[in-house]
Amino acid sequence: MDTLSNLLFLCLLLPLVVAFVAPLFSPKRATYLSFLAFILPFFAIIYSVFKVAPFEIPLTTFSPPIGEFYLHFDFISYAFGLTICIVSAMIALFALPYMKHRFEEMGREVESEFRKYIFLYDLYAASMLWLVFSGNFVLLYVFLEITLITAFLLIYTYGYGNRKWVGMLYLIWCAVAGVLTLAGIVLVAFENDTLALNVLMAGGKVSTLAWAFIFAGMIIELPVLGPHIWLPWAHAEAPTPVSALLSPLTVGLAGYVLLRTALIDYSFIETYRIPILAYAIFSSIYGGFSVFKQTDFKRLLAYSTVSQMGYILVALCLGPFGLIGLVIQYMSHAFGKSILFSSAGGIIAVHHGLRDINKMGGLHDSIPAISNAAVLGFLNLGGMLTVGMLGEFFILRGVVETFGVTKSSLGIILAVIFMFILSVWYGFYTIRKVFYGKPRSTKRLEISRYLYVPLYIIGIVSVLLLFPPLSTVLIQGLNLISGLGLGGLGVGGVGVGGVGGVVP
Amino acid sequence: MIEIDAWVVFLLLFLTPVVSSVPIALAYKSKGWTEKLPVLSVLGIGVSVLASLYIFFTFPQELPECQFSYNWIPDLGINIVLITDYLSRFMGVVTAVIAFFIAIYGLDYMKGDYRPSWYWFFFNLFTASMLLVVYSDNLFLLFVGWEGLGAASWGLIGHWFRDDDDIAYVGKAGRKVGPLELSWPPSFGGWRAISTIRFGDVPMFFAIAAIWVLAGGNLNISQIDWESLFLGIGTAGTIILMLCLLMGLFTKSAQVPFSEWLMTAMTGPTTVSALLHSATMVAAGAFVFIKLTWYIEPWHLRGVPGLEGVEYVYLFVLFVGLISGLYGALVGSGMLERKVLLAASTMSSIGLMFAAAAASLWVGHFAVLVAFWYMAVHAFAKASLFLVAGHLIHATHSRFSCGGLEFAKRMKPALVVTVVATTFLVGMPPLTAYWVKSGMDEVMEHLLHDYHMVLPLLLLILTSLVYSAVMARFLSLNFIKGEKPEHEHLEGGGLMKLGYSLMVSVLLVLLFLIFTSKETAEFVEAGLAPVSFVVGLGALGAYLVAAKVPRLKALSKVPGTFFSDRMYLPFLNDYILPKIGFFAAHFVQNYGNRGIDGFFNTKVVPGLFRGISKGIRAVQTGYLKTYVKIVLGFVMLFLIFASLGLGVGLGLGGAGL
Repeated sequence: MDTLSNLLFLCLLLPLVVAFVAPLFSPKRATYLSFLAFILPFFAIIYSVFKVAPFEIPLTTFSPPIGEFYLHFDFISYAFGLTICIVSAMIALFALPYMKHRFEEMGREVESEFRKYIFLYDLYAASMLWLVFSGNFVLLYVFLEITLITAFLLIYTYGYGNRKWVGMLYLIWCAVAGVLTLAGIVLVAFENDTLALNVLMAGGKVSTLAWAFIFAGMIIELPVLGPHIWLPWAHAEAPTPVSALLSPLTVGLAGYVLLRTALIDYSFIETYRIPILAYAIFSSIYGGFSVFKQTDFKRLLAYSTVSQMGYILVALCLGPFGLIGLVIQYMSHAFGKSILFSSAGGIIAVHHGLRDINKMGGLHDSIPAISNAAVLGFLNLGGMLTVGMLGEFFILRGVVETFGVTKSSLGIILAVIFMFILSVWYGFYTIRKVFYGKPRSTKRLEISRYLYVPLYIIGIVSVLLLFPPLSTVLIQGLNLISGLGLGGLGVGGVGVGGVGGVVP
Repeated sequence: MIEIDAWVVFLLLFLTPVVSSVPIALAYKSKGWTEKLPVLSVLGIGVSVLASLYIFFTFPQELPECQFSYNWIPDLGINIVLITDYLSRFMGVVTAVIAFFIAIYGLDYMKGDYRPSWYWFFFNLFTASMLLVVYSDNLFLLFVGWEGLGAASWGLIGHWFRDDDDIAYVGKAGRKVGPLELSWPPSFGGWRAISTIRFGDVPMFFAIAAIWVLAGGNLNISQIDWESLFLGIGTAGTIILMLCLLMGLFTKSAQVPFSEWLMTAMTGPTTVSALLHSATMVAAGAFVFIKLTWYIEPWHLRGVPGLEGVEYVYLFVLFVGLISGLYGALVGSGMLERKVLLAASTMSSIGLMFAAAAASLWVGHFAVLVAFWYMAVHAFAKASLFLVAGHLIHATHSRFSCGGLEFAKRMKPALVVTVVATTFLVGMPPLTAYWVKSGMDEVMEHLLHDYHMVLPLLLLILTSLVYSAVMARFLSLNFIKGEKPEHEHLEGGGLMKLGYSLMVSVLLVLLFLIFTSKETAEFVEAGLAPVSFVVGLGALGAYLVAAKVPRLKALSKVPGTFFSDRMYLPFLNDYILPKIGFFAAHFVQNYGNRGIDGFFNTKVVPGLFRGISKGIRAVQTGYLKTYVKIVLGFVMLFLIFASLGLGVGLGLGGAGL
């Protein structure tokens, strides 16, 4: 291993170490430490995107059917990893005033509660980060379960409303999801005699049964219509910094698992493409319409997550370009939704627990900084002027590549188009309802900078990722991966490299 | 050498407006700074003006030298490709200059506003986005600018988000038709704009993605082989693709039936209306259509077997444009609100641009030039009129037309500018628009002569006459025959006067250009044709009549209200579509979510657990007798299944034997 990969490895190790060290410090220092623990890996990943060709770091090897444990550093992991890092770092800052306020509200001792909280928070975020770099399904599954347990504990101890019930609800549904996925993984293990992703990628097979298990598990975790019932509760009642990781980062990781599985063997998706696609589009539109009727701001955002996760599942069905779209969609949703949950949190913190939209309206006057951040968030969800634009573009291209522009494909084209339109509709509808209109008071409130500066930084990152040089290296890197994974297997008909060759 | 220079110029062109408005955006808390910093934002646009002029005078005009490319995602054909062809270099100057004059005017107009940071940031973003649309050759880059327009227009239309001042509303409070009140606050105007625009933008984005695939990964408008692209997807494919693309253009340009957002966009500050209506946003749709047509060259594709789709699409655009033109003019004739009257007339003009450009399929390149020049002339004239309207609103504290001759005497510059702008715009000989309109007459006459299409020429003449009357009505109701204003506030406004005077003077420059440049020589020829002259005289007549009698009593009841209620098109936007949407939302929430939630979370899952746990507890009685029974039961079951299996096995074995 050269120094660069060593450095990257250390950067990944950092958040895990900090999770155990941070509780020793005061809330403010612990927050800064956590912030550093995620922002350093962020820059390390950005650096590697430019400089480092994909590589692996072996950890240890188990006997078959488990195979080698290693960390892989490819562009998919970079994309997910940098998203997790920047969001976790920024939300860590946001959480400082917010959680203090929450502990006081709950009548607990701030210092000691913060120790427990920061440990869980760091471990939660770090395990997500490790998940996307895990090169073995078993390792990946272990981190998936750690995220589940830490998130459960955070909701259970610091949530709102009937938090214990909601915590259990979340735990049970996601445990079911985990078990189903594990069953699928075990089947994959016996079919291929290994669970190391690099071996699987080079000609591994995933049988229909194994795929069905993984798919069933992951659509609960994602979630789509039907199994989505746990999500509005969990997102709405979790303490806001946890919502701001849970919705943007955690649920989308189901998409990551599906993506990795699809890169190994795309046959399942190809066979059941139409029903899955129809289900995904329906689910997304259903989620989108649900948003309009919500009266709780956080619950509203939770339904928008259902809608956005529909995009991920749609993207999964659309061949190589769809898969690139999936990765970008994950990033864009993560940026947007973390900003939005934090703005909801900002309103809660500043306006004494205000969550009911019917009691909002005209809030822009009292908290312009948070209101404008929310606009940035919804721009991300709608794929306007942010990295989400590229995501939508790739998904739309996937539609054309897969179905063509003909009379018979018109139905699917229109459905996907409508799905995208709906996001902007509910987004700006919500903005108007919450922030504009006749203000109840025109007095501007003084608010802590922690509550809004991090949101703008996330927003700026999401805009920067649309433009060169970041998008140049990142998208071309992703293009390489899905080209290898799918073009090699002849999926979708169009090798991505082939298109690249045409361009002058 | 020129390469380096070129990119510096482009960076200055696009980035200075945005960068120069960042300070004021950051200083939103300080009253002192927000009063001083607008000057910086205006200077930023000034730099863009210089850059666009530099491009106009020194950059190459012919392909391939006029194309500048910088890598973005080169493997996939997404690049920063700019072009300085005939259309872009002209339109760039038009956009930058108009934005600059409006910005100067805005220094006065927006003084003392409650959120200057927001206003200037979005105003400059708006300008930069339009410039990006104008100079882009790459469709993806163009779409980035396009989205910028959408977002910035939303911000600006809903600028006065508090909805607390009637002066910012559109429609008359209390005017009810059926269940609808025809009155709209600014925050609603913004939401309506973005929701309508997005309805067209996503289909357009899809069309761009489709072109990306079908053109082999190339997205540069000037390089795509349109003919083989259309041939490759056949008639149905062409129609689907082009209609998707046109959805974006029609919504942005507020063509029928997507025009409502433009009317309620008048809730924004007048400067915004002026910019929105002249050189950005609504013009963007028509401009992109002109630009595409310029490179598609549909006149070469007519009659080619397999390309019938192109013909249908252009015929469709021709009629959407003409119908929007007539609709806008008629609606304008019923309007009393100053800005909404102008808005309706803009929609009409844009319709004519679409129609003229679409006629190029039959007439050829000339028709595209006509559309383009009409856009330029219209931009300066309409911007001047909007700026005057804004000044009038300030001076009279009313958004409804009012003001008689006495008032006009005290507002002389405004009066003069209005007279000049309206007369130069309606196409009366020999003023600027006459020559361009003559070109348009010639185009439509060509359709009549060679293809026996009567309707286009008829619709054009009708629209021209009504349009002329509407403009005269604006003049008359505000300066000649209008009621005496309730308030008069005439002090100050120096920069406002400067703004619109500069703006209107450009019309003379354009007149000069029409007579001197070689591309427009044919306009002058067309202007000398008898048909054009008759139409021009008609426009003059309509103008004079309407100036004398701006309100016809006989017409004010039935067609009057029909027009002033915009032929009840608001019902589509505000009643039918929301009803459908909210029905879906209601259904999903009250039956779907409640159902799933209430059923699964509170019935099925807990019930299942309760049932299982009850069963298990019922078994654990502690009596040995019960356990023995259970064990025996299982043994019996096993025996039954075993014997069945054995029987089947034997049976099969027997059959096998």
